[in-house]
Amino acid sequence: MLKTGFESGANSVVMLHKTVPQVAQELHACIGCNECLLACPAATDSITIDVLNRETLAGPISVPVARFARSCYQCGACIAPCPVGLHRDAMMMWLKVRMLRSGWGE
Amino acid sequence: MAVTDQREQNKGETGYNWLFFVGGDAWYLRLFVIFLGAAAGGIFYVWYTQHSNDASPDSIAGYTYAIIGTIFLLLATVLYSLNRRSHKKRTVGQLHRSLNWHICFGVLGLVFLFLHSFGNFNLRSGTYALYGMIALTLSGAVGRFLDRLIPRLITGEVHKALTVMGDDRMETISQKLQAIVVHNTQDLHGFASVPGEKSHTASTSLVSLSGPVSSDFSFMHKDQALQTPWDLAYISLEATPQELSREANHYRFIPDKKSELTRPGALMPGAQEHISELQEVEQAMQREIFYRYVIRYWRKFHVLLALLMLALTLWHIIYAGQLLLPVLLHR
Repeated sequence: MLKTGFESGANSVVMLHKTVPQVAQELHACIGCNECLLACPAATDSITIDVLNRETLAGPISVPVARFARSCYQCGACIAPCPVGLHRDAMMMWLKVRMLRSGWGE
Repeated sequence: MAVTDQREQNKGETGYNWLFFVGGDAWYLRLFVIFLGAAAGGIFYVWYTQHSNDASPDSIAGYTYAIIGTIFLLLATVLYSLNRRSHKKRTVGQLHRSLNWHICFGVLGLVFLFLHSFGNFNLRSGTYALYGMIALTLSGAVGRFLDRLIPRLITGEVHKALTVMGDDRMETISQKLQAIVVHNTQDLHGFASVPGEKSHTASTSLVSLSGPVSSDFSFMHKDQALQTPWDLAYISLEATPQELSREANHYRFIPDKKSELTRPGALMPGAQEHISELQEVEQAMQREIFYRYVIRYWRKFHVLLALLMLALTLWHIIYAGQLLLPVLLHR
């Protein structure tokens, strides 16, 4: 089991990424409160959390979500405000991997 | 044409390229403010140095530059920090705008404090404060560059650590490796049972073996063993059936000097490749952790530099105040 995120007060070595089943589990656990996006210093467009959740795991990626993924710099500011303790940075990482692979024609 | 468009639409946005830029009106506004502020400061500097004999840091213009620069610095430091820590309800994108103003005010602060010096770097405290400011602004610029670079490097490493389906690649490889080890261990055990049958005749022991080995030696029935007279004239120079079947599977574990099987790891075909893959994934994960530390600690470094710069500025203000206040009071 991979540990992830900037857990507050954790000095141990943590992994950023999660596997797709773990990401899917977190996406299903998301309550859509939007706190992660409000705390994000990279979010420029007014994208909504449901669109982001829908496009993170699979399917086509819209322009605002892709722009947000490209702007995200994995600072981890989205983790602390989440009321259910999810790791938006790990979800974003999977979105980025998808975009990277799609760019290679996979 | 319509089919291609539909396909593109289904595919959506692709690629995680480096040369990515989101401008927008707000970004151009900030850029305009920086240029306007710097130009205004620069034009006034040129005009003042040409029309005044007192072009020094402790002149009226020098103080003006110092005050404006300090205000910009305070705005850069305080506004973004407060905005980040504020529990007030924000809108999406508000922090990004705040960060852009932080950069804008930081650059303007550096420009005005540089102009405040009027090329006079004799005072140690002021020079150190300026150096601190330059280091802080540079660390911010490098940080912005790292913000673009590091996530892309991390994504490259995560791509290596996950399978195409997004599963943990290390776990997948470990399972394959385990399967190879189990398979080969079973084969070796099967073959190792031959020396245990020392008391029996060779033909009996071969017949007693199970699986492909026994079936391959089925032609050697014990009734047929050495029925022909032992005479050199009957020995054929043609290859015997045993020699012909030398390449068969049951000879896999009988290495001779020339055999490829004498290579280390040859008894576990595929294992070495999987071990290499495992090492590759492990290295990718280590690099991922390293990159995360770079992101995390660069921010801390920037904050530390800000505190250092603040301390140097305070030192400079107190030092300059001790020099200037007696002069001002005796006027």
